[in-house]
Amino acid sequence: MKRQFKFPFWLRRIFLFFTIIGPGLITASADNDAPGIATYSISGAKYGYGFLWIIVLITVGEVLVQEMAARMGAVTGKGTADLIRERFGVRTSAFAMACLLLANIGTTLAQFAGVAAVGELFGISRFLTVPLAGLLIGLIILRGNYKNIETVLLILCLSAFSYVITVFVIKPDWGIILKEALTPTIKLESDYLLAVLAVIGTTITPWGIFYLQASIADKGTDLKDYNHTRLDVVFGSVWGNIISAFIIITTAATLYPKGILVNSAEEAAMALSPLAGSFSSILFSVGMLGASLLAVSVLPLSTTYAMCEAFGFERGLNRPVKEAPVFYSIFVGIMVISMLFVLIPGIPLFRIMLLSQSVNAILLPVILLLVLSLANDRNIMGEWTNKRFANVLGYALTGLIFVATIALLVGMFLPAA
Amino acid sequence: MIYLSQLIDQKVWDGFGHVVGKIDDIMVNATEKSAPPLSALVLKGAPENKTMIDAQSIASLWPSVTLKTDITKLVPYTPKGHELLLKQRVLDQQIVDTEGKRLVRVNDLQIARKGEQFFLTGVDASANGLLRRLGLEKVGKSIARTFKKEAKTHVIPWEFVASIEHDDPLRLSVSQSRLVQMPPADIAAILDNLDSHTSKALLQGFPNEELADTLEQSSQEVQQAVLSHLHPERAADVLEEMDPDEAADILADMDDQTSERLLTLMEDDDAEEVRTLLGYPETSSGGIMTTEFAWVPYTYNVEQALTHLRSSEEALEDEFMYYVYLLDEQERLKGVVSLRDLVTAPLDQPLSKWIDDDIAQVTPLTPQEEAAYLVAKYDLMALPVVEPESKKMIGIVTVDDALDTVLPTAWKKKLPRFSGK
Repeated sequence: MKRQFKFPFWLRRIFLFFTIIGPGLITASADNDAPGIATYSISGAKYGYGFLWIIVLITVGEVLVQEMAARMGAVTGKGTADLIRERFGVRTSAFAMACLLLANIGTTLAQFAGVAAVGELFGISRFLTVPLAGLLIGLIILRGNYKNIETVLLILCLSAFSYVITVFVIKPDWGIILKEALTPTIKLESDYLLAVLAVIGTTITPWGIFYLQASIADKGTDLKDYNHTRLDVVFGSVWGNIISAFIIITTAATLYPKGILVNSAEEAAMALSPLAGSFSSILFSVGMLGASLLAVSVLPLSTTYAMCEAFGFERGLNRPVKEAPVFYSIFVGIMVISMLFVLIPGIPLFRIMLLSQSVNAILLPVILLLVLSLANDRNIMGEWTNKRFANVLGYALTGLIFVATIALLVGMFLPAA
Repeated sequence: MIYLSQLIDQKVWDGFGHVVGKIDDIMVNATEKSAPPLSALVLKGAPENKTMIDAQSIASLWPSVTLKTDITKLVPYTPKGHELLLKQRVLDQQIVDTEGKRLVRVNDLQIARKGEQFFLTGVDASANGLLRRLGLEKVGKSIARTFKKEAKTHVIPWEFVASIEHDDPLRLSVSQSRLVQMPPADIAAILDNLDSHTSKALLQGFPNEELADTLEQSSQEVQQAVLSHLHPERAADVLEEMDPDEAADILADMDDQTSERLLTLMEDDDAEEVRTLLGYPETSSGGIMTTEFAWVPYTYNVEQALTHLRSSEEALEDEFMYYVYLLDEQERLKGVVSLRDLVTAPLDQPLSKWIDDDIAQVTPLTPQEEAAYLVAKYDLMALPVVEPESKKMIGIVTVDDALDTVLPTAWKKKLPRFSGK
């Protein structure tokens, strides 16, 4: 069909942009999941704007890592777990998969706990909200194909706008925010370092790497359009971290000056309402619901992709359930287990989430090392291997996370001083 | 059976017990499609120019890798361009089916010896292979045992794995479902082309019943080779599952010691039947007959006969059941009725209608050719075998067993098969 008129250039550019965005934005948005929001709001309330520069730093790290994963997906058409199995063999794969499964069940469970918490803020029982959320997401994933599942996930990403609106309702002083965000300050206290680690751990994640690469491979991205993919990844990471920053600003602008400390995202939402009005409190909760739902879809998917790749089973959202039974069974299994954990009274949720976080922390540097090695392998990447700059930054980041992880684990298992 | 995973990192000893190096990878000649021969061992930690060793100089691979000659006389292998590196290019790769659907990964590769040479025979795609790689094979077996299941090793013949294009996944040349459901005779046909090590390997993953069906269709060499490789207990179990006449044929070809041992391991009932059959010369009617046939007391009416057949074990084991034989209390043959006539007759009709003194029959010692002649002459599907002194009916010679004498086995396979089995 011939068009009678042409859209103006800038409008066409915007249309083009929306056809490009996808895996990158989804992964980065899912990084701001329920535990993520909790971490940001707690840190914002405790350390104020001084914490913002960490986010700037993490953005660089996330772009670096996610771009490697996206590039591997586009070049090889395979997932991270595919490459790990083919390049490093069964033992490494089995170790990574065991850790990933444990860690991701724990994190999925945290998302359902997030859904439950938001429901309870509005006085709705978790026995209603959690199964409803599980059913909704399950149906979408089981019945949809890649294209419409991606659309649903992108719509869920929009929930992050609630934090942007919240911040504009609060009207913070932008001058101070900008100044603080660009001035590195460091506090050598264990709580502060722990908070920094928690923020890194919730932003740069093994499941994020697995998900991004698998979905780019699943989507079948053409290498000629790799620039578009890279744009999606960079935009996604930057956007995701801007949202993180907005969450920090929300609590830093309201709770920090009053010296109110919070222990969870729900507490932060409640504390917001006397200070910034009930509207911002509601917005804050809506954002968390959207983020939890997004992560509830992405996390089990990431695990499922990885497990099927590692052991060679059919996988992919474009396959009907009949053709990829293992893929969908693992997905449903993770969902059901996580939901049960949240719903059965008396299960020590906090301990389970702590455990899954530790497993995640152990896995992250290992996965980063594997990814760096794969992205530098000429046999796999051809002319698309890492540039020197990416390698230097990548190994530095891995080293930093490795040292920090050990510190974190030691701190976690030593009795609190 | 040898697996690639058991060879990687193994020390390689020369003829004088010196360590040459450790196996890093193994090369096969990729131009050979069905069972590529090993062309060289790729070593690490070996002196320069000794990093590739011609497979010709391998003396053994298992339990330890030893070479025929001393290290100084080793001729380095020069790649000819058709080699395929197993660890680097095949192990852990994805296998897809004919439609490109992902099935499983190459968990391990199976290597077998035939004479002086070693061959790549199959792809181990089972969980067992995965556990072996993780060093947890024993754990897997004990778990399987607690669930009362056999830990199965599922080996896909290499022949079915299409050649590796650059960087593509391995493609099966038959669909997965076909591979599993392949009729036993087809598997047997494939086996006849493979060496005994391979057949053995292939069949170890089969349930006893399927293995029995497959062996019945196999050549004598394969039957002997496969059974001689099985654990005697298992071999006896498989023989029990076979038709007694087939089992007897196989046992007759074995040396007396082995066959006697297998017979004692078999269940008494089955062993008894086979022993009787073994007593007759191989070329006699007794040698080719089967002792499982459908019969009913001749005093019954049609309804009683049908009820009797439904619950009779012998009738159930009758391969074809074209005829139902009418016997008296001393198991003497009184008459015969085709199953068709029996089923279509009124229920209250007595069987006496079909009593006949002059039924075509043979004795166990009647030569096979004569039985074949009778079958052909009277257009019969089966011929009763009757003991001459006691007049007891002891078995039947079925048309396909009788025709075996006239038509060589190889011909028979090309004919349409009579049973739907």
